[in-house]
Amino acid sequence: MTLSELLQAPDRRGLADNGLVYRSGPFIIALRTRLADTLDLLEQFYGPCWASRGPAVAHFQVEINSASGIRRWWRAQAVFALDALHPFEPFPREHAFPLLEWGLNWSIATRAHRYLMLHAGALERNGQALLLPAMPGAGKSTLSAALAYRGWRLLSDEFGLIRPTGGDILPLPRAIPLKNRSIPVIREFLPDAFLGPVFPKTRKGDVAHLRPPLPSLARQTEPAQPRWIAFPRFVPGLRRPQLKRLDKSLGFARLAQNAFNYRLLGEGGFMTLVRLVRECTCFSMDYGNLAAAIALIEEITADEPC
Amino acid sequence: MNPAKLHTLLRSAREPSAVAHFSADDWNRCLRAARTERVLARLGYRIEDAGALDHCPAVARDQLLAARAYPAFLQCRVAHEVSQVRRALPAGDGDLILLKGAAYCCTGLPLTRGRQLRDLDILVPRTRIDACERDLLAGGWEAQTLDDYDQRYYRDWMHEIPPLRHPQRDVEVDLHHRLLPLTSRLRPNPDLLWESSIPVAGMPGVRILSPVDMLLHTATHVFHDGAVRGGLNDLWDIDELLRHFSAQPAFWETLPERAARLDLGRPLYYGLLFAHALLNTPIPEAVLTEVGRRFAPARPVSTLMRALVSLALPPQEGRSAFAGLANWLLYVRSHWLRMPPHLLLPHLFRKSLRRIDGVDHPSGRVDKR
Repeated sequence: MTLSELLQAPDRRGLADNGLVYRSGPFIIALRTRLADTLDLLEQFYGPCWASRGPAVAHFQVEINSASGIRRWWRAQAVFALDALHPFEPFPREHAFPLLEWGLNWSIATRAHRYLMLHAGALERNGQALLLPAMPGAGKSTLSAALAYRGWRLLSDEFGLIRPTGGDILPLPRAIPLKNRSIPVIREFLPDAFLGPVFPKTRKGDVAHLRPPLPSLARQTEPAQPRWIAFPRFVPGLRRPQLKRLDKSLGFARLAQNAFNYRLLGEGGFMTLVRLVRECTCFSMDYGNLAAAIALIEEITADEPC
Repeated sequence: MNPAKLHTLLRSAREPSAVAHFSADDWNRCLRAARTERVLARLGYRIEDAGALDHCPAVARDQLLAARAYPAFLQCRVAHEVSQVRRALPAGDGDLILLKGAAYCCTGLPLTRGRQLRDLDILVPRTRIDACERDLLAGGWEAQTLDDYDQRYYRDWMHEIPPLRHPQRDVEVDLHHRLLPLTSRLRPNPDLLWESSIPVAGMPGVRILSPVDMLLHTATHVFHDGAVRGGLNDLWDIDELLRHFSAQPAFWETLPERAARLDLGRPLYYGLLFAHALLNTPIPEAVLTEVGRRFAPARPVSTLMRALVSLALPPQEGRSAFAGLANWLLYVRSHWLRMPPHLLLPHLFRKSLRRIDGVDHPSGRVDKR
């Protein structure tokens, strides 16, 4: 069953009490919520994903609900729980959906240590993956979003999940949180893509989520082989993007800095990263406009055999 | 205790192959509790040793295996800290004893697998502790800034000096000169521990406690010095130490006698009783009987402790009023055992004043969890 089918079923109320289970990439999420608006958004963003009403073993047991007590009525708040613990301060009630998304990302980053987790956008074409590792603010979400609607399959805008055994990358297509000035940029660049409501004044400024293309969601369990690594950096006003080929050693050092859990994985993390860098061509790329950046990426990924 | 009524985490620890019959709800409860109790990785090893990892659902296996990274990382860090400490202390000045996790880790005892290890606990003779502290401070470690009261709390009453930490590394180093506070009801003699300690192969100047003493220390840590609640990880230590060392000749025979000698009979009694009851640790009937006869408290106390610990030690989900009361009573008990009333009451009064101030002070800790 898909999440859409589950949430459009007549007795949706029952879900509030018993919770629901859905898949996001390699992860099974058990969610309890009584917030109708959050369920609606979940359906809009993750409709084609596998879901179920029944109990299933879950990677993450999460809950998002209104705060109790006076906060239910006065300056209402939303609370995120993981395993019945509350890792974060409450958010304003109307920011429940961004809180859920952010909370899940945090849960993944702190727990999913079966994978080397790069902080990277990731896209796939013909089974070959392009990684865009960068710190927040470098424009990786925006660039990933744009590429996802220009012939690439979105694997993730945030996580490069590298499997140590095969060296392949697993998809984790999630709603892409666009921040502040990225929102109008993407609205103009992708006028037909589905963009959710703008949540003003969150911790990261204004946030609006872009839905990944539906095929990305439908193919969210199909891995890919990494081939290219480009470290993007958004430089306002830069007309022509600047590309530099990077030595593998430098690529390695930058990725070790960038990964969520490189140090934690010790020797296993080192081996995985060495293999990844050996199999990929590394670039750094400064860009100031999306169309030019996409054209350049087309160029550097074109000559590889399919 | 009826095994069928036990929490799924305890059931899986007692009988790892039983997980093959777990429902999805059983698994979710088990995994959630195992994380909260910090034993998820340990559970994974236990299930793997029983040959049952392949019978786990893929999603559960994912988590059991993913949980191994963090403890391995922590252990690596503490092993590194041990080598740093050894380098900072002049070799001719005498030995040190690694306690608890650091001892398991540096000697490669099987129970170290999957065990989370944050602090480095070291025992040195009281006559040398000031010199050791000076050497570590000179080597770059820093003491937490503590006011006069905290300084006095540690130096006059406790079994350790204020924790040290190297600013570039995130490991707390606790230098002890005995196992229990100077003010504690029980007074195990540290000289006895030194006499039977064992050198660690390949690490000159480093020793560990003898197997029997190691077990007594862990039991004491949970059932005398700690608040019991959240102590499942420690009970797991007791369980694995017993399973591992019981193969050694004369282990069971020497255990009760040694406990009497060290004045740790009561913690041993509780340790064996609850490891057996909750984790089904194999303990010879004769040992249980003898330890009960020699070290059990009077019947009403024993009955009360059984009731309280059975509420406080298993994973607690939601908050039952009974469990809350049991937690509180055991917390009070731990303080009661830690200090005589004429010290305890002024101390608790000070602590509550500080709580009103909203300041959390290290001397307010019952244990370091």
